This record gives sequence, C-alpha cells and structure tokens, in this order.
Amino acid sequence: MVGSNSLIDATTQHLSRFAPFDKMAEADLLWLANHLSLAYYHKGEVLLAPSDGPSERILIIKQGRVVGESGEAIWLELHEGEAFPIGAVLSGRPVVSTFRAQGDVFAYELDADDFRSLLQRSQPFARFCTERIANLLDQSQRSIQAVYAASSNERQSMHSPLSSLARRAPVTCAPETPLGEALQMIQVQKISAIVVANEALHPLGVFSVRDLIGRVILPGLPLSTPIRAVMTPDPMTLPPSAHAFEAALLMAKHGFRHVLVAEQGRVTGVISEKDLFSLQRIGVTQISAAIRSAICIEDLKHFAEDIRQLGHNLLAQGLGSEQLTQIISILNDLLTQRVIEIECGEGYPYRFCWLAFGSEGRLEQTLSTDQDNGLIFIPVDGVELETIRNHLLALAERINRALDACGFPLCQGQVMASNPNWCLTLDEWKATFANWIDSGAPDALLNASIFFDFRPLIGEELLAVELRAWLVAYARNAPRFLHQMAANALRNRPPLGLVRDFVVTSDSGEHPATLDLKLNGTTPFVDAARIFALTVGSDASGTAARLRAAAGPLNIATTEVEAWISSFFFLQLLRLRRQHEENLAGETMDNHINPDQLNDLDRRILKESFRQARKIQSRLSLDYRV
Amino acid sequence: MSGFFDRLRRRWSDVELLPVQQQRLAAWRSQQDEDLRRPFAEARYVVVDVESTGLNLQKDRLIAIGAVAVVGGRIDLAQSFEVILRQDQASSRANILIHGISGEAQREGLMPADALLDFLEFMGASPLIAFHVTFDRTLIARALRDHLGLNFSHPWLDLAYLMPGILPQWRHKYRSLDDWTSHFEIGNFSRHSALADALATAQLLLVALPLAKDAHSKHYRSLQDLEQSYCWATQQN
Repeated sequence: MVGSNSLIDATTQHLSRFAPFDKMAEADLLWLANHLSLAYYHKGEVLLAPSDGPSERILIIKQGRVVGESGEAIWLELHEGEAFPIGAVLSGRPVVSTFRAQGDVFAYELDADDFRSLLQRSQPFARFCTERIANLLDQSQRSIQAVYAASSNERQSMHSPLSSLARRAPVTCAPETPLGEALQMIQVQKISAIVVANEALHPLGVFSVRDLIGRVILPGLPLSTPIRAVMTPDPMTLPPSAHAFEAALLMAKHGFRHVLVAEQGRVTGVISEKDLFSLQRIGVTQISAAIRSAICIEDLKHFAEDIRQLGHNLLAQGLGSEQLTQIISILNDLLTQRVIEIECGEGYPYRFCWLAFGSEGRLEQTLSTDQDNGLIFIPVDGVELETIRNHLLALAERINRALDACGFPLCQGQVMASNPNWCLTLDEWKATFANWIDSGAPDALLNASIFFDFRPLIGEELLAVELRAWLVAYARNAPRFLHQMAANALRNRPPLGLVRDFVVTSDSGEHPATLDLKLNGTTPFVDAARIFALTVGSDASGTAARLRAAAGPLNIATTEVEAWISSFFFLQLLRLRRQHEENLAGETMDNHINPDQLNDLDRRILKESFRQARKIQSRLSLDYRV
Repeated sequence: MSGFFDRLRRRWSDVELLPVQQQRLAAWRSQQDEDLRRPFAEARYVVVDVESTGLNLQKDRLIAIGAVAVVGGRIDLAQSFEVILRQDQASSRANILIHGISGEAQREGLMPADALLDFLEFMGASPLIAFHVTFDRTLIARALRDHLGLNFSHPWLDLAYLMPGILPQWRHKYRSLDDWTSHFEIGNFSRHSALADALATAQLLLVALPLAKDAHSKHYRSLQDLEQSYCWATQQN
C-alpha cells in the first residue's frame, strides 16, 4: 500500500535532507516511507550484533546516535539520516561490528526484502548503496563547483575534455608557406597561433604571434621566408578525450602557450593558454614562462605567492586535489630549479643532485608548504670530501635563503641541503639509510618517513635513481624495519569516535575543537602507502601510485585501493579548501578544521574517509602483525 | 434504569445511516474482542490524538483524529491515519491557530459518519492508547454516539498515568506530553496536529514498553494495572 498523509509527508521530507534520499524520485521516497517502521532503542541497547546472523533489515537513524564497536574500540559513529548496515544486507551476511545506541535512538527500519525492492526501483538509491564513497565524493565535488561557479565567472571545469574547448577547426598552412602569407592568415582569422601541417594534416610545427619579435623582427628575416624556418617544430599533441588539466600540465612542464589536439595523427584543434584560463590573471604558462626567463633571485620573489594564487583559482574551478597538488608541485619544482640554476651560475665546479623530500618528493604539495631538501654529490679524485662538502654547503645555504625569499619558509626541522647531515655522497646516503633501517630507533623511523620520499629535482638525477634502487633492495630484506615502520604508523589513529562523531582537540589551546587533517587524515594513508611500496619494492613516489603499485603483489582488491585513494584525495582537497579559505580571510594557513563547520555531505565523506584510514591501518596491522 | 435505555434507544433512532454505513458499522461490531493479554511483541495497539473546537468537554466538538498503529513494538508508518470531520460551522479563529485546520478544511472534511467509520476500521479491535485519555475518549465517544449511534466501550490506556507509574522519579517533574517527549528528545513534526501528536505519543509508548517490561509488565492488561495502581497511589497521597 502506498498512501500519503501528513506523517508520511513529514517522513519523506525528513529523509530528503540526507543523501541518497535527496536524489530519489518522489514516488520512490513515498514508497520507502510506506515500508518503514519506527523502532526505539534505549541507551546502551544493541541494535545489531554479529551473533544475530545474516542481517535482515536496514536501519535509518531518525534521531540519536549509534556507534559501531569492534572489540573494545568504537570505530564508527552514525547520525541522523545515516543508513546501515548496507554492506551486510547487500551480501546477506552478519554485521561485522556491534551497533549500540549511544543514547535514546529512534530508527526507521526497512526489511531486507523491501530494501532489495527499493534497489530495483530507485537508481540513485542503488548507486549510493553500491558505490558509496565514490558517489559521495562525486556529489561533494559537484557542490564545490556549484559554490565556486556562483562566485566566479569561470564556469569551465579543468575536467572538460579538450574536444569541448577547441571550438573551431584549426587554421593550418603548409611548411613552405611564406611568412607574410601565414601572418596574413593569423591577422584575418584573429588567432594567436597557426599550425603548420602537411597535406594529411599531420602537424609539423606551431608558430605563434609571440614568436614574431624574437624569430622574425629582430633577426630581420624577410616575409618571404618559409614558415618552417621559424616555427616551433615537433609540437606536442593530446587526444580530444584528454582533459583540460592535462593540457595545463603540458604547458606548465614545457612552457608552451599552445597545445595541439590531434586524433590519429591529424590535427583537429588548438588549445591556447587563454582557452584554459580565459578569465584568470595568472595562468600556468605565464608563471612557468616567467620563472624560466628570470635571471636573478629578485625576479623570482613573490612567485611562490603567485603559484599559490593560481592554486586558489584552480581550486575555485573545481580541479581535483590530485591534479592540483601535481600542478603546484611542478611549478614549485620549476621555481626551485631556476633558483638553483641562478645560484650555481655558469660552470659550477661540483656535480650534485638536488633532492626534494616529504610532500614535495611525493608531488603532493598543498598551498602551504615549507622547504624539505638535501643533495647528493659526486666526490672528485684528489679533492678532500670536506672541501667539496663545504663548498656545496655554502651554495645550499644561498639556495635555501633564496627559496625562503621566494616564499618557501626555511624548514624548522633543519631538513635542508645546507645542513651537513643532508649534504652527502651517494655512499654516505646509503650508509645513513642503512643505519636507520638497521637500528629502527624512533628518530630513525621518523627520518625514514621524510627522507624515503626523496625525488630528484635537478642535476645528476641518476644518483637519485641509483639511491632509490639501492633502498628498494635493502628495505625489502629488512622485515623487522618494515614491522617497526608499521607499528610507528599505527600510533597515529584517525580521529573517529568518542566525543560526538569526531575526536577533536580540546576546547582550549591553539586550535580549539578541531581536527588535524594532515596528521590524523592524510598521514595514515601516506605512511601506509610508503610501507606497502617498500614491501613490494616499488619505486613510485606518490601515495596513489604507491598504493596502486602495491595492490597486485599484496593481493588488495582494486575497489579497496581505489576507496583509499579517493579518501586520501578528498582529505587533501579539504586541506586545500581550508587553506584557501584561511588565505582569503588573511589568516595563517594550517591543516586544522572544525568538523561542525562542514556541510552535512562533507562531514559524512570526512567520516567515511577516516573510516577508510582505519581500514588501511587494519590492513597494515594485519600484514605486519602489529 | 429503563429510562436510561429509553434515552439511548431514542438517540440511536435519531441517527440515520445509509445502508452502506450500516453494513460497515455492523462489520466492525461483529469482530472478535482483542485478547488484551497478547505479549507486546505480537500485539497491535492504536495510539490516538484528537483536535477539537475547544477544551470544554461538555460542548466542544471533535474536528480531527490522528492515529498510528504500534505493531509488535514498532510504529508502522504505513498504518497511520488522519481524518478531518466536516464541520457545519468552522471553529473560532483562536482555535484554528492552535491546530492549524483552516475553516475551509473544516468545511471540506469527510462527513462525520464516514470519517468515524474510517477510524473504527483503522482501529479494528486493537486497544487504544492516548495521553490524557479523558479528553480523547470523551470527544470520540460522543461523536460516535451522535453520528453512528454507537455506545463506544473500547479499552483505553492513559500514558499520562502510565509514564509516572513506571518512572516514579519523574512524576512530580513531568506532567504534559511535551514534558515527557522533550525528556526523551522525541521531536514533533507539527505540534497540535492530531497525527503528529499521535506519533509523538506512540514514540513515548515505544520508550515505555521496555521499561514496563523491566517492571514485569508483558501486555496491555498489565499496563492498565500499572496505570490503575498509579492513579490509586496518587489518590492516597
């Protein structure tokens, strides 16, 4: 029977405040309300227990709070509007943990049979139940975009395929076309670049208006010169299905202003920086080009600020945290590389490789970041090691100060190349790492978690490659060390449970009633990924890449790994958004968040993400017997 | 005694029901009485609340009935009931402001006999439960007598007495439905709408049932005993 009265209406209205009920068709919601019963559980009463046998009903909290207990520990908290145990009912198994009422609880209950009927009826409901975390993330991302789109004119997403951005057919000319003719076409068509292509429309080069001064006017070339003599040859292309951010990354990496869109070797469009950042003051390529052309440190000052500003803008366009942290890291790399090039000058006598550690090493930098670096140098026959080291320490000191001047604060923990401990030869690095791995002392474990994420930035990159290969081989044969790393990682628990739904800091102190998104949120994933990567001998440096690399060898289900990765990037996104807001408000950027200030959806994803952090930690504890 | 029956007979004969209404009434009357000793887990109770033209039991009329069924200790949302009885004359403005049933809605309600038959059929043989029974019972009984010619002698249980009976520590502090529901943080989607108040009352009943069980009460009859002993104890004081 499906009827309606003020009680049924009130119930559907109440439910529709929560996902997934807010996405369900009215008729299905009405059907649901007509199949619910309302039950009461007193404080401390068990709603569901593993010993009940296969779960026969879904509960939706109308009022009150329910906790999931595993042994002594509370590992999950459920609130108004949340449905459980979806997984257990879907698979017809008993619940894994004991669900207990934390106070007086009223819960709507739906029979398993009715639940299955609803899965058939309502697609949004079925999707929610089967792709919970992915779906929640998706909704959150969409709501972020909606919020920012309302506040900015930039409605275009960095996730758009290039085919949707290249609105017109490319203007092309043959390689032998005289320059004057090509310029005429540029003028008439009002374009900023022309594609040089053969008869099959295979792209051979690009010539842009900006090339005019340097390549034509100053050298005084006649307008009869064939265009192939002045074009930028071998242009980079992307397929039409590539996303806008990929074009942005390509532009940033290589300093191009145009990227060609090509399908099966035929050019089909041109994406200019303007297409990507039409309404933006600061573009990826503007920044990268300016960094490249800087000739003194003075020129590079404020660039860290510009990079952050770009990060804010991209965030506002709804760019995901994975791409965003990559873009920020790549631009920071560029800036660092340029600083090093300037400080070394021409003909620097010693050969070395500059290393980035920590989040920069993992390509996971956020908007607030300080320096974490070191270097590997090559000894020179006949020169005292300390002579070289002192020379490099002085150089590193200048580089560290210059980076500080550019907006990357000095590392308070002295993890910088100007520290003699981190200015070493390859053999010294190996000895240092071996010493940490063999000792397993607390400070060794802490150091490992920073330094083992090294990545070469500039110089003799082969040194870093060799060090990585050596480390992978050495750590694999050190099960005791991996066990200690795991034990150490597990000391840092995600803040779920206990007080209300999240464990927050005390009400006094520097950050009252907040969560630390870095320490308690992303760090468990980063730590676990590092240990997994060392275990399977992967040389991947990012958290997502490490988890994906370890999934196969460690027999972790792909869905599980993807849920961890989604959670990790969601937490990164929250950190970025928090920093963005603090930046707008003129506050110091940090990683502290007050969960009460999040919207309902984000709170739930945050909880789900912490739940995933718990899961990755249980996996760690199982695998390493901690 | 015979004069009393004469009066009743006269009243019944005043009521003129359509054949279909007579059939429905007869069908309701012919059902078996409910076993009041059925355990909570198997029993069906109907929790009821009414709205009226005012608080004067002698002259005010029934406007609306809201009811929910508690089946096996759970409220079955599909088994919820609300009806507005057609009023020839809408109640006062002050009264409308309380329950929110507009004059138009009152005039467009169901014919009282049909509304009351709907209610009887929804209720079936299930015993009734309300908060401050006297009010609901008086208005419903009078409406049934006036519109269906029915002498309504259905079992009632009063949560206003049962609650302090099983939670004596609160008996001086809590008196009204609002007192008790706010103690258990029971929300009300629309206070002074009959169905919303019936739901809040039913939620209070769900809280009461396990507590009553702890006091060795297993069925409706023993709840009535608890209610009676509380009434008796308060009268002694």
